[in-house]
Amino acid sequence: MFFNSLHFTIFLPIVFIMYWFVGHKSKINQNYILILASYYFYSCWDWRFLFLLVFSTLLDYVSAMKIEKSKTQSERKMWLWLCISINLGFLGIFKYYNFFASSFAEMMHSFGFSVSPILLKLILPVGISFYTFHGLSYIIDIYYKRIKSEKNFVDYSLFVSYFPLLVAGPIERATHLLPQIKVRRKFEFEKATEGIYQIVWGLVKKVVIADSCAIYANEIFDHYQTANSLSLILGAIYFAFQIYGDFSGYSDIALGTSKLFGIDLLRNFNYPYFSRDIAEFWRKWHISLSSWFRDYLYIPLGGSKGNKWFQVRNTFIIFLVSGFWHGANWTYIAWGFINALYFLPLLLLNRNRKNVDDFTLKPDFESVKTIFNILVTFAITCLAWIFFRAKTITDAIHYIKRTFQDLHFSTQYLKIERYSHELIYLVLIFVIIEWNNRHKIEPISGKFSWLKMSLCLAAILALGVFSDIKEFIYFQF
Amino acid sequence: MKKFLTKILFYGFLSVLVFNIIAVICLFSLEKSNFYKPEFLKNGVKESNFDYVVLGSSTGLTTLNTIAIDSILNKKGLNISMDDSSISSHYLMLQHFFALQKKTKILVLTVSQWDLINKKPELNNNDYRFLPFIYKNYIYDYYSEMETSFLKPLTLSRYLPVVGVSYYNTELFYPSILTAIYPKKRNRFDEKGNYFYPGEGNPTEQKYQSIKLEINNPYLNKIARICQENKVELIVYIPPNYKTTITTNQKLNIVNHSDLIKDKKLFYDNIHVNESGRKKCSIEFAKVLNTNFHH
Repeated sequence: MFFNSLHFTIFLPIVFIMYWFVGHKSKINQNYILILASYYFYSCWDWRFLFLLVFSTLLDYVSAMKIEKSKTQSERKMWLWLCISINLGFLGIFKYYNFFASSFAEMMHSFGFSVSPILLKLILPVGISFYTFHGLSYIIDIYYKRIKSEKNFVDYSLFVSYFPLLVAGPIERATHLLPQIKVRRKFEFEKATEGIYQIVWGLVKKVVIADSCAIYANEIFDHYQTANSLSLILGAIYFAFQIYGDFSGYSDIALGTSKLFGIDLLRNFNYPYFSRDIAEFWRKWHISLSSWFRDYLYIPLGGSKGNKWFQVRNTFIIFLVSGFWHGANWTYIAWGFINALYFLPLLLLNRNRKNVDDFTLKPDFESVKTIFNILVTFAITCLAWIFFRAKTITDAIHYIKRTFQDLHFSTQYLKIERYSHELIYLVLIFVIIEWNNRHKIEPISGKFSWLKMSLCLAAILALGVFSDIKEFIYFQF
Repeated sequence: MKKFLTKILFYGFLSVLVFNIIAVICLFSLEKSNFYKPEFLKNGVKESNFDYVVLGSSTGLTTLNTIAIDSILNKKGLNISMDDSSISSHYLMLQHFFALQKKTKILVLTVSQWDLINKKPELNNNDYRFLPFIYKNYIYDYYSEMETSFLKPLTLSRYLPVVGVSYYNTELFYPSILTAIYPKKRNRFDEKGNYFYPGEGNPTEQKYQSIKLEINNPYLNKIARICQENKVELIVYIPPNYKTTITTNQKLNIVNHSDLIKDKKLFYDNIHVNESGRKKCSIEFAKVLNTNFHH
């Protein structure tokens, strides 16, 4: 059930009405309704994976209590590692086993040994990376005594399986979400209206921007051998907006949906393409994952303490793991590695927290510099996205080589019966709208919201891609 | 809560109303145009009686040039083929043709090998082009039979036109704006409904093959029946295929040009001829058609 499907359009109002009209009297009823809705939502992909979700929930729930009740530190550690191992074990089998098996076979082949790997025919359970990380953050917080374990199984189950964030995040923290689940939610008009605005803007990002960009990006990436420099540059830009529109659109719909139920989720995107350096980009892109890695991997590894060598090592570890988290392919690891390389000069020069403040443009040299920095950051981000999108690292290298080899900048007629440059106007309009509203969560709220809402709906109907519905990219992670 | 629901319902209803009005205007604009074949047939074709009509998909559209055939035979022909369609769409087009009170003596049905063996025809990519005529029962019935998805955007458009227009926005919404400005604009076909693929083609190299087809498509029988009812002679035309000979055991009136063209330069791709190939096919077909008219 995709957020942009008819199924969800029917599902959401039913759950909303049940929640506020049937279950509104107590928090228990509200949570039961949300749990049932969440399990139904998840089972729409494959009901068999519900068992995995329930098992993972039970495992974390029991482990957390065991950690808390343990009398010795070694016992606590044992429960922590048991829980982490089982969780990551499932993730490893479903997501990474085939990758490791085939990579091992390839490596042996390069040494002259013939090994035929035993590959598993497994379907990747949707959202497994997200709910596994939910559970892990909870367990680690319990271990470090940052929070108390949750005794109410229903409340804890809802924390793990809450449907707006179940399949593609944001990756929530127990410290943020559980307290909201543990109290009865009261309807707030302002919050619900904000939710609707966010859902509509998320849909614009998904069906108007991401899905339109996907048509062009797919065509150019799939036939990059015949594309000229301009088309290849546009292909990378289209993919940058495809993945941004897709994932941030999904997050907006998730956050907006959750607001309809009176629950706030963590913000996941903060206009990342207006970042002035790569460090700022990573503070604004997939915020919940970046902060997860910071809190549960980077800091335990020593973080920015210690000498520069340790900091560099930790930075590379975090970016490589982040790349690998996205998928079992060398292209994702290469993408993580490139981002680490981008980050390195900032780290060595102690400039990685230079751009933490907000900025406004004035007619001065500083503003020109800011715009230049934003454009450079966007350009290098696009370069890294080529590795993310390409089927293999070789394809990515050839794509980049071809871009700079024969410098042809004439517009090309693509097999999709459109010129390669046509969509750039729509992308530019989108960028202008986001730029003018970068201090707000979404551009609809404020003055003339009804007019902006109508224009968004009209854009969805007139410009949205419906006849070839594409699933959200991040579902595969 | 009451305020929220009231606002949602009010703006929701208002949006549905306004967008439906826009969608109706779009469909109206398209219906009055010549842009796609179904609309062209109604507005762009003034004659009602034809000696022959070519019906098919892209192969029908680009293989037989009715202007060339007419000049050879001194007859009146029309090409009502529509690209990216199949026999089920041809059946709908034929119903549309007769519903518009048009007549023909001969129907030349151009078919592809895949289309003939297809037992379960589905909705074709360009069937949305009939949407401006959704108020006609035969169009509505066709959509409701062929659409299998949970959301049936074309069928639903009879009552909520916004669904179909937004679902096929690139194909319907933008052309409707274009046709409001240029109502006589046609979407890649001439005044007799013909089109050709430009330049020398590039068919994929393959070994010579001979294919014997079992005709299974139920819509072929439907077309034969409707032709019989309207006293139209049906000719099934098999167009050239690169290095392929197609045979069939059916007792239909078949003109088989599957292996007519051997020269690679006359092909656009493996199943379509280019302009030169079209010229050769049209001349050869005119000879066959001539004997039909003499009978």
